[in-house]
Amino acid sequence: MIFFENVSKTYDNCKALDEVNLEIKDGEFVSIIGSSGAGKSTLLKILTREEKPTSGKILVDEIDVAELKENEIPYLRRKIGTVFQDFKLLANKTAFENIAFALEVLGVSEPDIAKDVPRVLKIVGLEDKAFNFPQQLSAGEKQRIAIARALIHRPKILLADEPTGNLDLLNTYEITKLLVKINEFGTTIVLTSHNREVVNAIGKRVLTMEKGKITKDQQEKGRYII
Amino acid sequence: MKDSTKRIIKSGWTNFRRNSWLSFGTTGVMTLSLLVLIGLIASNASLQGISSSLKEKVDVSAYFKFEATEDQILEIKSQLELMSQVKTIAYISEEQALAIFKERHKSDELIQSALDELGNNPLQASLSIKAKDPNQYVDIVNFLEGTEFNGLIEKVNYYENEKVISKIDSLSKGLNTGGALIALILAIISILIAFNTIRLTIYSQRQEIEIMRLVGASNWQIQGPYIMEGSIYGIIAGLISLAISYPIILLVSPKIHTLVPDLNLFNYFVSYIGQIIGLVIISGIALGIISSIIAIRRYLKK
Repeated sequence: MIFFENVSKTYDNCKALDEVNLEIKDGEFVSIIGSSGAGKSTLLKILTREEKPTSGKILVDEIDVAELKENEIPYLRRKIGTVFQDFKLLANKTAFENIAFALEVLGVSEPDIAKDVPRVLKIVGLEDKAFNFPQQLSAGEKQRIAIARALIHRPKILLADEPTGNLDLLNTYEITKLLVKINEFGTTIVLTSHNREVVNAIGKRVLTMEKGKITKDQQEKGRYII
Repeated sequence: MKDSTKRIIKSGWTNFRRNSWLSFGTTGVMTLSLLVLIGLIASNASLQGISSSLKEKVDVSAYFKFEATEDQILEIKSQLELMSQVKTIAYISEEQALAIFKERHKSDELIQSALDELGNNPLQASLSIKAKDPNQYVDIVNFLEGTEFNGLIEKVNYYENEKVISKIDSLSKGLNTGGALIALILAIISILIAFNTIRLTIYSQRQEIEIMRLVGASNWQIQGPYIMEGSIYGIIAGLISLAISYPIILLVSPKIHTLVPDLNLFNYFVSYIGQIIGLVIISGIALGIISSIIAIRRYLKK
């Protein structure tokens, strides 16, 4: 469960988040929409403690995120899977190694890694690209590898920050379908998007943000409305 | 723990291999730094050789009157041997002095015939004394002049040599301090260059570091492979610099030997080979590791 209580984030007099209150239940698929600078990405960054909130309380799976010490942050991040618009794959590691890295940081043994990685590569449909480096992959393939990395350790929560922002129509569709499938397996997904088709196709809870505030919360069958 | 150490070593090695151009450049710069270090060892050895061979040429001789008996001279010798400043003493009897003199002038017939005509030995017995340090001759001469046997001593040739001795002393001191100063400056410059190269290498990896942090890697999991990579740079640079310097020393050594006959640079390196290899490789590794730790620290904060 994710819980925000009066969360604010200020950057040099500019309020990125303004007294946000929000509750996301386990297994929900939440799409966050809004114009650039509305605070969508900041909200996700605060969830992984990439940014520290200026005030307010955040709980992720009972962890008090704002109060975490520096050396405890990696443990929070290992509970959450994150997918980014620019993929953020390690350029000098192969697809296999990029995915394996998320398990290595958890201390998973080599035999388990050798077993799990091909399985998740199969889920994202890239078992034949295991030993390719990121620069040898298309944008869609890169994003699927990134999703595989985010999923490999079976996190309860998957954050996707504009995951289709750099993809063509077909890949956008594929990735959206993949995310919906992952959600059906029980993973909570928080997605930010500018893409009307994507949000409408998902058709689940939709939050609209404006100037750091949540201005609309469509609990079911949400549509892309700004 | 064992698994994670293995992972860090493997990952460090893989990074090294895959960033081949970067690794090549960094290792190259570190090799140059370590070559400077080897050069410093060689020049230090040469300077020490020059300064000690200069010192070696200095001695004082005390010449004894003809009435001094051998026992008395040997008594003075044994008293001198008790002095901490004295390095060696050689007793040259009248006969030995004559033999040496004859040998030295054996081609000069005039001197030979003059000696024959003289009949008896005109040369005095002497003690040839070497001090551990040139500035200690004053103590030795003072001792000789203060002893009860002073009456037996004809002359001590120190006062004639005094100026030369003090010049040699200050020259060899100058060589040592000047050499150390230049060595220090060069060492600092080469350390800074190597450090900066590793800093740039890690700077080029800052995005990777950021990604690792976002995926939940701990500081050690991020830092470990880079430190490992740094030590690989060090080991390889150490080996290359040793391999490069070997033929150079082999080539240069005879030339230095003709300049400073007491110094054989190649033998010097061979006799300290273990220490030199150890020093070069350990300096390389330390340089790699310390530079990596300092360079990566700023990307781990936040």
